[in-house]
Amino acid sequence: MRLSIALDYTLPEGGMAPYFDALRAGVALASRCKGCGRISFPPRLVCAECGAEAHDWARLSGRARVVLRTDALAAAFALARFEGADGTTTVALGNPEARGETGQLMAPNGPRPGLWLRLNERETDHA
Amino acid sequence: MANEIGMVVAGGALTRFGRRKDGSSFRDWARQAFAAALRDAGLQRRDIDALIVASESDFLTLQLNPASLLADELGLFGIRVMRAEGGGASGQVAVQAGAALVSSGQARRVAVLGLEPAAAHLSGADVAALYSLSFDAWTDGMTGIDSTSIYAMSALAFMRRTDATVSDFARVAVRNRQNARHNPNAHLPLDIAPEDVAASTMIAAPYRRLDCSPLSDGAACVILSQPGNLPGTGKGRARLVGMGSANDRVRLAERADPGTFAAKRLAAQQAYSHAGITPAQIELAEVYDSYSGAQLQALEALGLADDVVAAERRGVFDATGTVPTNLSGGLLGQGAPVGATGVAQIVSCAHQLEGRYAGLGPRITPRFALADTHGGIATLCAVTILGGVE
Repeated sequence: MRLSIALDYTLPEGGMAPYFDALRAGVALASRCKGCGRISFPPRLVCAECGAEAHDWARLSGRARVVLRTDALAAAFALARFEGADGTTTVALGNPEARGETGQLMAPNGPRPGLWLRLNERETDHA
Repeated sequence: MANEIGMVVAGGALTRFGRRKDGSSFRDWARQAFAAALRDAGLQRRDIDALIVASESDFLTLQLNPASLLADELGLFGIRVMRAEGGGASGQVAVQAGAALVSSGQARRVAVLGLEPAAAHLSGADVAALYSLSFDAWTDGMTGIDSTSIYAMSALAFMRRTDATVSDFARVAVRNRQNARHNPNAHLPLDIAPEDVAASTMIAAPYRRLDCSPLSDGAACVILSQPGNLPGTGKGRARLVGMGSANDRVRLAERADPGTFAAKRLAAQQAYSHAGITPAQIELAEVYDSYSGAQLQALEALGLADDVVAAERRGVFDATGTVPTNLSGGLLGQGAPVGATGVAQIVSCAHQLEGRYAGLGPRITPRFALADTHGGIATLCAVTILGGVE
């Protein structure tokens, strides 16, 4: 038998809505834990370090440094350390032809609210 | 002395793993694996009083509530039926749930059936798109990142911390395919050499096509019971002696070291403690080699070598080594029908301990064997230890 199913989802973003709204505008919005002060990007609504459920929102500069990078068939991805955040973040690279190690969060390519980093061309543009 | 939790693998079987283009369906594989496991255990259908189904995704089976459907398909009625899921760990999560039912007296003879139609009936791109939702779908997933790229970054972190190279990864990729050549059920019994790995398409650096496990179709089934509830009181059957399970941060980027499978270490420690043994007593392992480098990361986390890269180079994990690993071929060689994977590992370990494994055997019949799986990228880890025949 043959069967084709198209699924058209509308996903409410709930407690993460402020992060997604900011991301769509190219702004990095992190959570700052009210218990231990840890800054998580993407945000965590329950702190993985101390378990606190209360947080503030913290706007980051969006500048980041690539820690690890992999070049895939038609895309490139990285773990990047965003200025002001504790830990790293998985990003897609918006301009994989650039070899710089620093970059800036960009508004998503297309309708998916993904984390995209535009790399700087020159290494003098330090994050 | 090993702990005695009083449970045996009464019987087990798997179908051929591979890209099934022979017109057979997952319902056929389920019936085939279940019937073969029953025969292996010397039991009848009416002896089974619980069924646990391991299947990762309804997107693949296109069957919601698959446990009900499969119980019906197998002719099992009026018994306890459930489904267990933990991504790539689903099979072992189901085995551990089955063991808990037996231990708690809620069932006497549990059939654990793992399956996945993950290769032949959807396009590879569609399956890859589904698998890319195996991480945090809202953050990692929305970048469009695929499993290979996530595993690649973890492997890069591992290479940075150790002196592992792509040659070490290629040795694993080759050995598991060569091991699979002895396994009549294997998906990729390939006669390849390291040069073939190096010449295969780069998927996400450092991983090339031959460093990646395939998408496979197939099913596997085991029957768990206390020996007293079996014909001949389960004589000659491998024992289930230790189980552990632990989870990690779902986002790889949040982990202190993205190259370390920390939750797997915890799951293994639990399993060793439960079994009352040390890692040095493990004489055979089936580990979750979704990617070649992940096999080394897993062996490290399982504590099966002090310096995993040096041990790999010394041949410790070869069929003739002290910890023969993935003699079935693992996911790389035997294949990876997700829900079936962990169940098939239990079958392989049990049959090796019983000295009747159909494929490549170790130099000596092992006394303890370890089966290791995970979902995500070592996010949900489940480790099971089996003991030899007493």
